[in-house]
Amino acid sequence: MSAGRWTLLYIVAARLLLALSLIGESLKEDHQLASPLNAYPRLREGTYLFNHGISPYSGGTFRHSPLFLPFFSWLPDSPYLNASLWTLVDCISAWALVSIWNARSGGVRSRGVLLASMYLINPYLFLPSLATSTASFDNALLLLAIKFACERRTPPCLFSLAFASQLSLPSILLLPPILLLLLSDAKSHLASPKSFSTSYSAVAPVVLEFFAYFATLTGAATIATGGWSWAANTWGAGLILPDLTPNPGLWWYFFTEMFDHFRPFFLMVFSMHLLIYVAPVCIKFQHDPLYATFILVGLIAMFKPYPTLADAGLFLTMFTLFPETYRYLRYPIVTALLHLHAFLLLPLFHHLWVGAGTGNANFFYASSLVFGVANGGAILDAIWAGLRIAVGEVGEDYAVMQE
Amino acid sequence: MRFLFYLPLSLIFSLFSLLALTACAADLEAFQRASARARIGQFFDRNAVGASSESKHTNNWAVLVCSSRYWFNYRHMSNTLGMYRTVKRLGIPDSNIILMLADDAACNPRNRFPGCVYADAGRHLDLYGENIEVDYRGYEVTVENLLRVLTGRVEPSVPRSKRLLSDDRSNIFVYMTGHGGNEFLKFQDNEEMSTFDVADAFEQMWQKKRYNEMFFMVDTCQAKSMYSKLYSPNILATGSSQVGENSYSYENDMDVGVAVIDGFTHFTLEFMENINKTSATNMQEFANKIRSHADVRSDLFHRPLDRTLITDFFGGVAHAEVIESPITTSVTTVSVESIAPEELGLREPVADLLINVSAAADDVEDHYAHFGGKQQDGWAIVAGLVGYVVMRERRQ
Repeated sequence: MSAGRWTLLYIVAARLLLALSLIGESLKEDHQLASPLNAYPRLREGTYLFNHGISPYSGGTFRHSPLFLPFFSWLPDSPYLNASLWTLVDCISAWALVSIWNARSGGVRSRGVLLASMYLINPYLFLPSLATSTASFDNALLLLAIKFACERRTPPCLFSLAFASQLSLPSILLLPPILLLLLSDAKSHLASPKSFSTSYSAVAPVVLEFFAYFATLTGAATIATGGWSWAANTWGAGLILPDLTPNPGLWWYFFTEMFDHFRPFFLMVFSMHLLIYVAPVCIKFQHDPLYATFILVGLIAMFKPYPTLADAGLFLTMFTLFPETYRYLRYPIVTALLHLHAFLLLPLFHHLWVGAGTGNANFFYASSLVFGVANGGAILDAIWAGLRIAVGEVGEDYAVMQE
Repeated sequence: MRFLFYLPLSLIFSLFSLLALTACAADLEAFQRASARARIGQFFDRNAVGASSESKHTNNWAVLVCSSRYWFNYRHMSNTLGMYRTVKRLGIPDSNIILMLADDAACNPRNRFPGCVYADAGRHLDLYGENIEVDYRGYEVTVENLLRVLTGRVEPSVPRSKRLLSDDRSNIFVYMTGHGGNEFLKFQDNEEMSTFDVADAFEQMWQKKRYNEMFFMVDTCQAKSMYSKLYSPNILATGSSQVGENSYSYENDMDVGVAVIDGFTHFTLEFMENINKTSATNMQEFANKIRSHADVRSDLFHRPLDRTLITDFFGGVAHAEVIESPITTSVTTVSVESIAPEELGLREPVADLLINVSAAADDVEDHYAHFGGKQQDGWAIVAGLVGYVVMRERRQ
C-alpha cells in the first residue's frame, strides 16, 4: 500500500479511536455542533416516542425527518456503535469527495489522499461527527449526490438529492446546479467559459424524476407517521423558526428580538434571501456547474435557518476540489484567520454567556457574525477567483478590477 | 463488474459485523443497568431518612413571624431571619415559606451595614443576603393577616406566594418572635394577638385539615403563655420562657449598636448548625438542649419526641423509594366504582378525578391505534424506491 493510503488509514483509525473514547459525550447538545434539526438527543427522544406509539412530533423537540425513525429506532443507543457509524458516514463522505475530484480531474490520483484527509481532519466536520449530530448525514448525502452527478449517474444522484432535501430542506436549492452538472460534465471549464445549451427535452425528464423521488419519499414519510404533522415540524421549522435555540447562524438572534407584528415579513425576507442566490450563481457559472454547486453550498451554509459548523466545513473542504483557483484568491489569509478567530470565539463566548453567566447573547451573536463574515469572505473570494481564471494572465501594466 | 460479485458478500459480512456489534452493545448496556441499580440501592440504604422517620408528612411549610418594628428590635428580625436561613438550608423552598418581617432592618437608615442583617457580635454571617423572599413586610404584618394566612381565609386577590397552601400531609413550623406578655403577643406596637386567637386559628387549621403536624416555637417574654391554651392535636410547642418570666437577648454587636440575637433563638440556631438534611437527630435531643427555663409542651403531640426527627419540621426532605421493576407505559381504563376512597387514603370522593383519567385514556388508545398501523407501509415504500434506483443503476 502506498504511503498515501497508509496515511489515510491512520487518519481513519485516529478518528475512530477519538470517537470511541467517548470524548463527544459532552458535546451532544453543543449549540455550535448540533442545531435543533440535527441534535442527537432530540433524535433519541423522537425514537423513544415513536417506539411507544406516540407521534414523535407531538413533543416539539423532535425536528428530524421521519426517514430517520426506522433506522434509529432499530439501532440500540450505544455510544460505541454511534461512534463507529458516524466515522463510517464520514468515510463515505470522504470517498465521495475523492470520486468528485477524480471525475473533475480525470484521474490525477495523487491528490485523492489529500482531499480525503482534508475532509476527515477538518475540525468543522469532525467535531459535529464526534457530537453525533446528523449534520454528518446531510453532508454525506450531498456529497454523494454531487459525486453521482459528476459521474452522470442520474437515478442515484437524484435519489440522494431528494433524500438530502428530505433531511434538510434548503438542500433542494442545489437542484439547479446539480441538474446542470448532470447535463454537462464535471471537468474544469473555469478558464474557458461558454454558455450552457441544452434542450427542454433533456431537462424535463430529469426534473420530473427528481420530483417523483421527492414526492415518493414525502409520501412514505407521511404514511409512516400517519399524518402531515411531520412537515410542519421539520420543513416548517426552517420557515417559521419556532425554535430559537442559539446556533452559529444569523437568523436566531434577529428573531429573538423581533416584534411579532414583523415576524411573518422577516421570515419571508430571510427565506427569499436564500432563494435569490440560486439563479444568478447558476447563470454566472453555467460553464462549470460544479463550481456553481460549490458556491451555492457555501451560500446555503451561511444563510440557512439552522446551520451548524458542519455546513461551513463542507464548503471549506470543497475548496480543495478547485486548486486552479488558488493563485487567484485575493485574501485567503484573511479568510483563514477570520475562520480561526470565529472558531475560537464561538465556544468561548457561548461559555461566557451560558456557562459562566458573565456575558450575554450579544457576545455569542457577535462571534457568529465573525463566523458569517469569514464565510462571506470565503464565498466572495471563491467567486472572484472562479471568474478571474477566465481572464487569464495579464501583463505587468494591467490589473484586473471589478467595476 | 467484479464489484457486483463482491457486493452481496460484503453486504453479508457487514450485516454480520453489525449484528455482533449490536450484541456487544446490548450486553454492555445490560451490565451497566444492573450495576447502576445496585449503586442506587446502596445510596438509598445508606441515607435512609425515610426508614427512620415515622412521620407521614409529604411536604413542609414554615411560617416565620417577626411582630415588632423599630431599629432597637433588630434582634427580633435577626431571630426570624436566622430561622429562615435554617429552614431554607435544610430544604424548604421559598414557595413553602411565609416570612413576615414587621420592619426592614437591612435597609434601615440607621444600619451601618446596609443590606445586611447579622445575628452575632462580630458579624460573621449575613442573614439577609441576596437570595431572600419576604412575603409580608412592614405594615402588612398584622394580627389579621397572620390569622388569615394560618386559617387560609384570604382575599381572592392575595397572591400565591402570600398564602399558606398546606394540606393534610403538611408539617408546619410556626415561629413567632417579638414582645410578648401573659397570653398575648404585641404586633407593630399598636395591637395584640392573644393566645386564644392562636389556639382557635390552629383548631380551624385542624378542622380544615391544613396540617399533619405542627411545631410551634415562640421566643418572647412569658412565651409559655402563648401556647398554654392550645387544644388541637398533633402540635408540639416550645417557648423561651415561663409565665411571669422575661426572655433576654444574647449579645450586642458594638458596630451595629443594638442587640443582635435573642438567647433562645441563638441556642436553637447553634443546635441547628449541626443538623443537615440527612440528619437523624430527634426532637428529644432538641428539647434537652434548651437550657434555662425554656419549656416544651408535648401533651398534644401524638408521637414520642425521641422518634420525631428535627427535619420533620425544619427541613423539606423528600422521601424516595427505589422501585425494582421497570414501569411500562401501558394504557388501561380505570373503573370508578371499584376503588373506594378510603383505600386510597383520601378523604374526598375521587369520582371526578378518575373520570377525567379514563376519558384521556380513550383518546390515547385511539391515537395509538391510528399511529402504529402504517409504519411498515412507509418503510416499504422507501425500500422499494432504493431498490428501483439500484435496479436502474445496474441496467445502465
